Amino acid sequence: MTSAYTSRPQGSRLADLLAAHAQLLSIAGFFLIMVVIFSIASPVFLSTGNILNLVRQIAPILIVAVAMTFVITTGGIDLSVGSVVALINASAAIVLQMGLPWPIAVIGLLLLGAAIGAIQGWFIAYQGIQAFIVTLAGLSALRGIALLMTEGFSIPISTDLGFVAIGREWLLGVPVPTWIAFLIVAAGFLTFWGTRFGRYVTAIGANQEAARRSGISTKQILLWVYVLTGLASALAGIIIAARLGSGSSNAAVGFELEVIAAVVLGGTSLMGGRGSIAGTVLGALTIGVIGNGLILSHVSPFFTQIVTGSIILLAVWLNARVFSRLASGARRKT
Amino acid sequence: MNANQTQGAAAAAPIPRIALSGIKKRFGSVEAIRGVDLALYPGECVGLVGDNAAGKSTLTKIISGTYVPDEGTISINGEPVRFATPADARKHHIEMVYQDLSLCDTIDVAGNLYLGREPMNGIFLDRKAMRDGARAMLERLEIKIPNLDALVAQLSGGQRQSIAIARAAAFDPQVLIMDEPTSALAVKEVEAVLDLINRVKAKGVTVVLITHRLQDLFNVCDRITVMYEGLKVAERKIADTDLTDLVSLIVGKGHGMGGHA
Ligand SMILES: Nc1ncnc2c1ncn2[C@@H]1O[C@H](COP(=O)(O)OP(=O)(O)OP(=O)(O)O)[C@@H](O)[C@H]1O
Ligand SMILES: [Mg+2]
Repeated sequence: MTSAYTSRPQGSRLADLLAAHAQLLSIAGFFLIMVVIFSIASPVFLSTGNILNLVRQIAPILIVAVAMTFVITTGGIDLSVGSVVALINASAAIVLQMGLPWPIAVIGLLLLGAAIGAIQGWFIAYQGIQAFIVTLAGLSALRGIALLMTEGFSIPISTDLGFVAIGREWLLGVPVPTWIAFLIVAAGFLTFWGTRFGRYVTAIGANQEAARRSGISTKQILLWVYVLTGLASALAGIIIAARLGSGSSNAAVGFELEVIAAVVLGGTSLMGGRGSIAGTVLGALTIGVIGNGLILSHVSPFFTQIVTGSIILLAVWLNARVFSRLASGARRKT
Repeated sequence: MNANQTQGAAAAAPIPRIALSGIKKRFGSVEAIRGVDLALYPGECVGLVGDNAAGKSTLTKIISGTYVPDEGTISINGEPVRFATPADARKHHIEMVYQDLSLCDTIDVAGNLYLGREPMNGIFLDRKAMRDGARAMLERLEIKIPNLDALVAQLSGGQRQSIAIARAAAFDPQVLIMDEPTSALAVKEVEAVLDLINRVKAKGVTVVLITHRLQDLFNVCDRITVMYEGLKVAERKIADTDLTDLVSLIVGKGHGMGGHA
């Protein structure tokens, strides 16, 4: 006895779409929940002033998190970003104090950041040393260099220089750091989604040997993603120096953790092969909102780190356990 | 066993399209390939058979640039070449279906088919061209995949294998190496692959087929090369051999008597 040979009916495309973007939807939902909670807890939270302050504050995290999304999508990690920020931050103050014209200083510092990334990337891509180890060494050594250069002191940057405008000026009612972050996010999004480079970053994370067998120069691409984090960290270091009007080796302590948390919150897989710039943006916004909201709600600053850590774990847990199950459940029902 | 083995489209060519000589490859303590010579001519299909771990995959990966041999030379149309990476072999139109398929699970079907040679629209990937091209490639092989946006991880084993085959066959290869391309395929799909081999052979493509389904070899191959423990132990024209002969060559009972060509 046989039944009729028919093609399997095609389910709804919407269900597939929901499943494919479950992670993004869940972080977006989580972000909105945070916004609602803090806007109830503090009346000023949703004021224009506070929102602009928030987007200026998270600009450095956002910039580095976009680059970190590329690194993590290849299956790597860059733990040195906070130390690169500190090194560039301190170097900026030092070279400006020496009287170097600020535009040249900015270009030189960006190149320095890229060079640091290239050196780490070379060890990772061409010498096959684990990214975790290389950048852990970078985390320690680079902040050490910053400490050595500043001897632990904070070095002031003259506010007469145009340099501080990078961190303090406003353009069309929006702070300059926010504009810079916006441009980086747009460029990062287009590169990740639309270019060969972005495609190969995903391919390497999914199956590096398959990518190599497809004729992709995997080592070159791997080196480049660390150049990107170096460059982004340098930019973040410059923005922070300009905003605070000083350079210090103690800048951006714990920065790498915030950046990695933002990327992972956004649904980029630490195993590689799966990344989302839109998710990273939402992740960084969420981390910014939590930090800002807790301060406005007058939570003791001693609690902030505990609460932030717990919320991140909660968000990732919800993401992994609840939302993705809902998404696949929705898929099954159709 | 030389010169007059070819009977394909471009039979007269005296120079092999690919010639390996004295190839050796060692992995730590394992000497995977212990000195192999092999000549492949245009328009022929050579079957490569042998026991598990005989070195078939390793030898073909050397041809596709995946491994660099420790010793020995490769020449293409008489010119010596050196493949440092698979990209070098791809430039010489050598394509391979790998035993492990070498797909990127988190990339969609079209993306895998075009991996490494994406059609571009300025600096951006031309997604429409990729999708249309992918549909055409799959149709030519009669592969049914309803949703080209599906990630490769979501496909069945046979669908994945079909994608690996389509990818290797689609970009006008001159040498097409297939390492167990039909191990996960159903009846109709196996037939489609054998048809494909006969079609590309007629166009002058050199095909190397590794398979444990010996009966398939008799449908498509012109010659059969037998490997044993890293050595080439026998070579037979398809007309001069049969299943029992092949089986005894593979398990190592026949090669002491030498070839009877
Ligand atoms: N990358 C590698 N590293 C170490 N040893 C390897 C590697 N690749 C192959 N070998 C060894 O080389 C030998 C030949 O392996 P190969 O994969 O070429 O066999 P095969 O003929 O393709 O076998 P099968 O029919 O099982 O696919 C085996 O002993 C294997 O263990
Ligand atoms: Mg094999």
